[in-house]
Amino acid sequence: MPTWPKETKYIGRHVQRVDGPAKVTGSARYTSDVQPEGWLYGMILRSRWPAAKISDISLEKARQVPGIKAAILVREGERTIRYYGEELAAVAGTSKQACLDALRLIEVTASPLPFVVKETEALKDSSPPVWEKSPNLSKPKVVEKGDLAKAFGECAAVVEGFFTTPVLIHHPLETHGNTVSWTDEGITAWASTQGIFSVRDGLAGNLNVEQSKVRVISEFMGGGFGAKFGPGIEGALAARLSKAAKAPVKLMLTRFDQSLAVGNRPSSFQKIKLGASADGKLLAYELDAYGTAGIGSGGSTEGGGGGAEFPAPYIYTIPNIRVSHRGVTVNAGSARAFRAPGHPPASFGMESILDELAVKLNLDPVEIRLKNDPSPVRQREYQLGAERFGWKQKYHRPGSSPGPVKTGVGCAGASWGGGGGGTQAEAQINPDGSLEIRCGTQDLGTGTKTLIAVIAADLLQLKPDQIQVRIGDTRFPPSGGSGGSTTAASVSPAVFDACTQALEALQNQTGVADARGDNWKAACKKLGINPLIVGGKWQPGLSSSGTGGVQFAEVEVDADTGFVRVKKITCVQDCGMVVSRLTCESQVNGGIIMGLGYALYEQRVMDSTTGVVLNPNFETYKLPGLADVPQIDIILLDMPERGVIGIGEPVTIPTAAAIANAVANALGVRIGSLPITPDKVLAALGKTQAAHA
Amino acid sequence: MKAFQYVTAQSVDSARDWLGPRASYLAGGNDLLARMKEYLADPDLLVNVKSIPGLADIEPGDGHWTLGAQVTIARIEQDPQIRKLFPALHEAAAEVGSLQIRNVATLGGNLAQHSRCWYYRHRDVVCLKKKGPTCFARLGENKFHSLFTGNPCISTVVSNLSIALAALGAVVLVQQGKQTVRWSIADLYAKAWDNPIAHHSLAHGDLILKVEIPVEPGRSAYGQISEKGAFDWALVSCAAAAVFDDGRVKQARIVLGAVAPVPYQVEAANDLLKGKKIDEPLAARAADRLLAGAEPLEHNGYKIPMARALIQRTLLKLMG
Ligand SMILES: Cc1cc2nc3c(=O)[nH]c(=O)nc-3n(C[C@H](O)[C@H](O)[C@H](O)COP(=O)(O)OP(=O)(O)OC[C@H]3O[C@@H](n4cnc5c(N)ncnc54)[C@H](O)[C@@H]3O)c2cc1C
Ligand code: SF4
Repeated sequence: MPTWPKETKYIGRHVQRVDGPAKVTGSARYTSDVQPEGWLYGMILRSRWPAAKISDISLEKARQVPGIKAAILVREGERTIRYYGEELAAVAGTSKQACLDALRLIEVTASPLPFVVKETEALKDSSPPVWEKSPNLSKPKVVEKGDLAKAFGECAAVVEGFFTTPVLIHHPLETHGNTVSWTDEGITAWASTQGIFSVRDGLAGNLNVEQSKVRVISEFMGGGFGAKFGPGIEGALAARLSKAAKAPVKLMLTRFDQSLAVGNRPSSFQKIKLGASADGKLLAYELDAYGTAGIGSGGSTEGGGGGAEFPAPYIYTIPNIRVSHRGVTVNAGSARAFRAPGHPPASFGMESILDELAVKLNLDPVEIRLKNDPSPVRQREYQLGAERFGWKQKYHRPGSSPGPVKTGVGCAGASWGGGGGGTQAEAQINPDGSLEIRCGTQDLGTGTKTLIAVIAADLLQLKPDQIQVRIGDTRFPPSGGSGGSTTAASVSPAVFDACTQALEALQNQTGVADARGDNWKAACKKLGINPLIVGGKWQPGLSSSGTGGVQFAEVEVDADTGFVRVKKITCVQDCGMVVSRLTCESQVNGGIIMGLGYALYEQRVMDSTTGVVLNPNFETYKLPGLADVPQIDIILLDMPERGVIGIGEPVTIPTAAAIANAVANALGVRIGSLPITPDKVLAALGKTQAAHA
Repeated sequence: MKAFQYVTAQSVDSARDWLGPRASYLAGGNDLLARMKEYLADPDLLVNVKSIPGLADIEPGDGHWTLGAQVTIARIEQDPQIRKLFPALHEAAAEVGSLQIRNVATLGGNLAQHSRCWYYRHRDVVCLKKKGPTCFARLGENKFHSLFTGNPCISTVVSNLSIALAALGAVVLVQQGKQTVRWSIADLYAKAWDNPIAHHSLAHGDLILKVEIPVEPGRSAYGQISEKGAFDWALVSCAAAAVFDDGRVKQARIVLGAVAPVPYQVEAANDLLKGKKIDEPLAARAADRLLAGAEPLEHNGYKIPMARALIQRTLLKLMG
């Protein structure tokens, strides 16, 4: 079995991002920057109705707008629209304004239908069905184990709680979109995607073109988080517009579009009952949950489902359980995988109720976790983290913090699979000593290029910036989608293999015994005219899966105004062998900030009367800003013997739960509903004045 | 947005002359251009008022300071004298949006900006304020809405500066037809109290020229609570200014923001403070008077305790 080198110069260390300068100077070309010769703008007309029968759409007037080169329907014939923002038609033109003008001239004949956009209303029998043939509330999916009634009877303490989490909208900084050129030769698509091959196959399948005639390029992209695997309706529309207009079409969604139709994290409503023995051993657990994935679970969801279900009782093993999950359909955009699908709501509910139980049993929250968490990795992490965070000094009885501004601490744990496979890579050694590594993966912004350069540099004893890393093109050896935190664990072994084999070939061909480092140039020169190209593929033994992480949060809550400030998050995370430390830590920072958004700020707000998303912008869909970001202290459990494991998803899971627990610790009352906004804090403290009848 | 023409006015008269029935004054454009992009406004002509001589000046004075309507919020925030003399104004300015917004947003535009109600701002919702049939917020998502109003629309005034300026007793100079009128901040918003369609009292064509702030030998303060730590609208804001005589209040003004369509003032609360030393119990009683008669809706009842806390803190801040 291959093994990673023991002595390293770059692996596991801080190495500057190889594409950092290109990104900060703006020379890096993202999908939204690509401008092929003769390109047109593309735009989508969306439904203004949350539900309607569409009998006719006339594009005639739109086609007359100066500059408009193509106008197409999403689908011919009558159709039923099921949410505000569903795609109806698309236009391509020489300017944004021409497209905007054209969209306003498309005539849609529609008969509005009744709709329902809120989970709590949709689950009533009287609610209008989103799908004609099935009720909005699905049959429960039930898992049972042991004897629940008996077990609860034997518990020394039983707690019950109700927890809710909102629908989050996917808001990567680069919106969804593609620039597509469809000619007789085939399709070239510049895609903002986390899966160039899945976009290729999606386009080929949708449009009936051979896969060999579809090329997808994604050199730089601005985030995906689970929502950018397939070409999406917008990708297929861009291609069809390109064919119709005989020109490349760039169709990037607006921020408004982004709020409606590219997928989201489902909501959850969790009724939980948990019981334990006097010493805190968990004995019985009952969950009755529902949530919405919009009109359905929709979208490609590599790396996890897009449904409203979540793992329960999450990371704990409890002998007697009953878990019931139901989905509720509403007239709103559908869910898609969203950074660690299912886990953040699972962690929030479970870790919240666990803290309630700890309080009831008069146990320290860390203690009750050490007593029940089956993972040896997290056991270690809780101990390490508690020490570093100063848990013993900071933890106090809930609600015992004096003064109007109360401090509190909380913790929570998470698990994730990750793991790799199915990737090929090739190394091209040129006679002048330059080296190219090619791999058909893509960089979500996580630093894949840097990761590849770090590995090649260490194995060949070169400098990372001596290596040309080329990724994001379906003409390169294949790799999978960047989902489920699998990229590092998939790509690293393939690059390892390509580099080791290329080195061996170089040494064999040139007779240089050790061609690395100082000997490299001379050896390459001996290649003659032709470069050496050697392929490699993912090998077992260099990566693994299964990670654990824990986080500690320290907060300040103003009990008079309800304002919550997170002061500090300490994160202890296992990710096997750290390849590129800088980008790895950057994943942790990003994950925690996203978790902070889940905890305190983000939620999609639907309006019952009009059926629209009320906050389709960054003014009212609130994301954490610099002023909100706490001190983040990261401890990476370095375990090189496990090989490479991904880190992108696990680090965002426990943040919200840890913050919620810290808020409950500060106040002595629990806010069981995310996001924890000032109004909810004041209501929980009994300060809010009820509405006049 | 719809196509439009653009002119730059070089004088108040020419600005007014250009302003036809479907034209709009353009200052920093933060509010107006965003509404045009959402097709909430479709002027046929934009009359740029940023180059009118004298309207971008900060003029210090012993009796009062005069700020031109085109002074940017960033300049107000960064002026060290304003910070010293009118801390409430400085603090209110510093909380407006982000630095990028403050760099272009003007005083006049801030005072004359439209409602931020999310129904009003939604391109596909036609509510009462847009001359539609009904207020959707009243029975809908009204977390950010008014506790007090004199009309069926429950959107709130959102200009931070108006709250501070009301507490400071500022006077707004408005060009109306051939004459320049002097309005209190209360006058500037009075119409929005009664009329669901109004955002302020300015009629089409009225141009804010300047704002005069009296230099009073007292202290002032402003505070707000938002959901985020920065770059977020106030859920509730409060400004207060007082003149003291031997530690006792001679005269005071307390103003609440984001709870009514106007900067919300209650004379009885101001009167209560007169002749007294500000302490916690007094501040609490002042809060009672300000908040009396509040009519919370389904989602905005939290604004009452929040406002109470802010009133108390702002008043105590006056004591230094
Ligand atoms: C994301 C965001 C966040 C914001 N946060 C805050 C905040 O927290 N607090 C806050 O107070 N504001 C906030 N603002 C609002 C911002 O301060 C205002 O939009 C800005 O001050 C408007 O000024 P402007 O010069 O850009 O006005 P413009 O957009 O040019 O004009 C606004 C309106 O006023 C009219 N107008 C302009 N000048 C005059 C004049 N002299 N006389 C008569 N009418 C005039 C225009 O015709 C137009 O109708 C925010 C804005 C944004 C976009
Ligand atoms: S509060 Fe005013 S602006 Fe908002 S929906 Fe009601 S009428 Fe419209």
